[in-house]
Amino acid sequence: MEFHSRTFPRIGDDMSQPNDTKPPKWLLRFLRFFVKKEYLEEIEGDMEELFHDNVEQKPYRRAKSMYTWEIIKLLRPILIKKLGGIHPIHLNQYGMYKNYFKISIRGLMKNPITSFINLFGLAIAIGFSILVYGFSHWNYSMDQFHKNKNEVYLATFFAKRDGTVQEFGLTPKPLGEMLKKDFAQIKNVCRVEDENVVLKYENKVFHERIRYADPEFLEMFTFPLKWGFSKSLQDLSSIILSEKMSVKYFGKENPVGQRIQMIFENGRSKSFKITGVAEEFPEAHTIAFDFLINFENFRVPETGFDLHDWNKFVNATLIQVDHPSDLMAIEQGMEKYRILHNAAAPADWAISYFAFEPLATLAKRAGAIRESISSGTDETSVMFLTMVGGFMLVLACINYINIAIVSAAKRLKEIGVRKSIGATRKTITVQFLSENIITTFFALILGFIFGIFVVIPWFEDFNHFSMGFTLKDATLWIYLPALLLFTGIASGLYPSLYISKFQVVEILKGSIKFGKKNPLTKLFLVFQLILACIFITMAVMGTQNISYLAKRSWGYNERQTLYVSLPDQSSFEKLNALMLQDPDVLSISGSRDHLGKNNTTAVIHLPDHQFEVDQLSVQANYFETMGLQLAAGRLFEDHLETDKKTLVVNELFVQSLGLKNPIGQEFKIDSVQYRLIGIVNDFHSYSFFTKMKPTIFRVADKGSYRYLSLKVRPGTENKTYKSIQARWSELFPEIPFEGGYQEDVWGDYYEQMGRGASALRVVASVAILLVSLGLYGLVKLNVTGRVREFSIRKVLGAGIRDIAYHITTQYLVLLSFAVVAGAPLSYVLVKLFFDTFFTYHVSISYFGVAIAVAILLLVVVITVSTQIRKVLKSNPVNGLKAE
Amino acid sequence: MKKTKLGEFEELVLLTVVALQKVAYGVEIKRELEERLNEKLSVGSIQSALKRMEQKGFLTSEFGEATQKRGGKRKRIYSATFHAFKILAELKEIRAGLWNSIPGLSQELGTI
Repeated sequence: MEFHSRTFPRIGDDMSQPNDTKPPKWLLRFLRFFVKKEYLEEIEGDMEELFHDNVEQKPYRRAKSMYTWEIIKLLRPILIKKLGGIHPIHLNQYGMYKNYFKISIRGLMKNPITSFINLFGLAIAIGFSILVYGFSHWNYSMDQFHKNKNEVYLATFFAKRDGTVQEFGLTPKPLGEMLKKDFAQIKNVCRVEDENVVLKYENKVFHERIRYADPEFLEMFTFPLKWGFSKSLQDLSSIILSEKMSVKYFGKENPVGQRIQMIFENGRSKSFKITGVAEEFPEAHTIAFDFLINFENFRVPETGFDLHDWNKFVNATLIQVDHPSDLMAIEQGMEKYRILHNAAAPADWAISYFAFEPLATLAKRAGAIRESISSGTDETSVMFLTMVGGFMLVLACINYINIAIVSAAKRLKEIGVRKSIGATRKTITVQFLSENIITTFFALILGFIFGIFVVIPWFEDFNHFSMGFTLKDATLWIYLPALLLFTGIASGLYPSLYISKFQVVEILKGSIKFGKKNPLTKLFLVFQLILACIFITMAVMGTQNISYLAKRSWGYNERQTLYVSLPDQSSFEKLNALMLQDPDVLSISGSRDHLGKNNTTAVIHLPDHQFEVDQLSVQANYFETMGLQLAAGRLFEDHLETDKKTLVVNELFVQSLGLKNPIGQEFKIDSVQYRLIGIVNDFHSYSFFTKMKPTIFRVADKGSYRYLSLKVRPGTENKTYKSIQARWSELFPEIPFEGGYQEDVWGDYYEQMGRGASALRVVASVAILLVSLGLYGLVKLNVTGRVREFSIRKVLGAGIRDIAYHITTQYLVLLSFAVVAGAPLSYVLVKLFFDTFFTYHVSISYFGVAIAVAILLLVVVITVSTQIRKVLKSNPVNGLKAE
Repeated sequence: MKKTKLGEFEELVLLTVVALQKVAYGVEIKRELEERLNEKLSVGSIQSALKRMEQKGFLTSEFGEATQKRGGKRKRIYSATFHAFKILAELKEIRAGLWNSIPGLSQELGTI
């Protein structure tokens, strides 16, 4: 070892240390910094001796790292310098801060009620802020776990629809393959398509949605496999499952190697071998899969599959380049594909130009891309939550400011003494600010616990999702101190500046009576009351909106109808024949599309522009079965062959086109003329979230029926539902039944609305709580400061009315100010809120505002009356005896 | 006994100081004890034990010679006080008493 260390030059060592038998200088400096002066010589010597011993036996690097470790291990209380204390060399303000700390703890202990109000209020607000953080973080980390997120792009195109240029996430079928051939810069191309199939494993049969993808899918996206190999997707009969689906079919066992049967929509089936199971997807994803099979399998269900048809689309085409800068050249070369597509496709579907959206920003932009592979993020909710969280913080901070200003009167003497023994305004400000940060710190701890164990689980529970909140997230640990500093300074800056302003002489002379008459306190209180007014109005209107939505008509008879989704055309005939015998069934219709389930779109050609509408292809009696009301004209006739060239439209269609005499007008769709024969009343095809659209009905070919809908005798819905299910399993034992009550097609829409309203109520309750806490603190301090006044009044014979009058008046005046400013403001904001978040909602009336004002009045009266009671019960002698 | 508060590690260091006599300074104590315990010790642990015992009155110390190897810094030579000797003796006696009160074990140990 000795030989080694002396012969070889030591590369990479500190060059400023030519004599490398010396320990590194900066470490020595550090040692000198922290070791007690009286021990320094001895310890420094010991360390150096040890270092020399080590250098002789070991390489310099090793000796150096050992030396470093030894130094770190020297950091023991008994060996390091006292901070401040006897040798105030460094951090000589330590003693001062220690005093501030002590004083603030004493202050917190001395006024348990005001401390509680401050701590509790801040903690609640901070709890909400943690939720806001968690939710925004979840939203902004959407799809960010993909390693290639900056190199993978979704190919999109812009096209003109309804007079505006819109972006679409679809791509013409041949594009993917041609891109790969034509551009050397493109490393990988992946086409994605989705389809509903029936999957069968042993006795488990389910309807599933599978994803066709090129084998590069697993290379471009970061979805590591738990079992199996991702390369196996190259094989045409391989299937890769998500973790969830693996559990659904196989429990906890490793299913790799098992075979699973897939029945496609056209009835053809194919056996797949499971070759992989993906690890559980990160919570924040908008792109994933249940089942993944090779894209080429697309030929199985679609016999006339033509990959070169520029008029057909795939759900998504993704490309991967080596470097984002390569994209420029590709974008410029897209023109020829545009020409190819536009030559093949009808003029309605002409593409204006192609574009590419990086995976990194796809989720965020998905809302603006139609039919995008990514479901996108929820920006409006983030905004709303941030606003609520911000308001809560403001409410809590105002409570703090008000209480701090008012209770400063109690600390006048302390400030006077501090100032007279040399404290400057700056040091007093720093004192109050640091006290405040200590309070906020406790609130932060409480709020953090509250946020993690109450607010986030509550939020996740009623929204049925998990935002994957983790303490391991590094930005959280930046956010928390930032929140601490922000809250601490926002709530403490004004009081500390205000308090530190006063002159010593005046304080000690006792000629200052500040705190009680601060106009800002009143302004803040008014502001808080206004905020609370807004929140309460919102909650009241939210609750009213629920009953409104429950009563709002769907525009057709959703309660008396059932529907069944059909696998093929023959199944309609079979089921129709059986169900017609059921006496409870009043009417049966077939349709290609179905209300609340799906529709297609059509483009209407008008002389000056094109107009996109929803389209439903149905049997002639569909209107009767579904209970759609005819407004004008006539409906389809069953056996009229000519009706194939006619349209029935909804009122919105007529309105949107501004037609004067709609019946009999002709419209061109896909170069065929159609005549408008009837108008039905407007109806909600999808939930009240979705805006009603101009819709046309056309007669469907019998062969295209994919839905069977039934109108049943009232009260027999349940019975008929069971009977269809039974008939179904007799007719088609291989295919699971898919259908249900028409009432249920909106999924958990009403439940979701109900949850939204209850969230608003929770927010409003918290706001009321915060305001009443703050008000309570103010009133209490006000009353305590006026003990003598009230005692004298009582001695002179003041009764309950007089006392109540003198305490209550000022607060009622403030409340009326708040109402005058807050009521119209609440009305406007709540209207704005409902217009933003609801497509259809209850008309906003002053009722909600009135309720809000009544609640606030009640809160003020109750809060104030607790103090009136206290004054009335107290003995005036005690009040006058003091001092 | 209560007043002394001599920890197990402190006792070991103290005994080492006594054993080393005139050469009992930081690094030497560390070296000696490492050899006997057959484990690595840090300067920090030795130093804090020494300082603590000095405060409790088990040790006194004075500066010794300075060497080139120490970068010209003087050693601090430790020596045990009378009080320390007394406590050490007491501890030994208590231990011996306890050992003797375990007849089975002391016989067993004797036979080994």
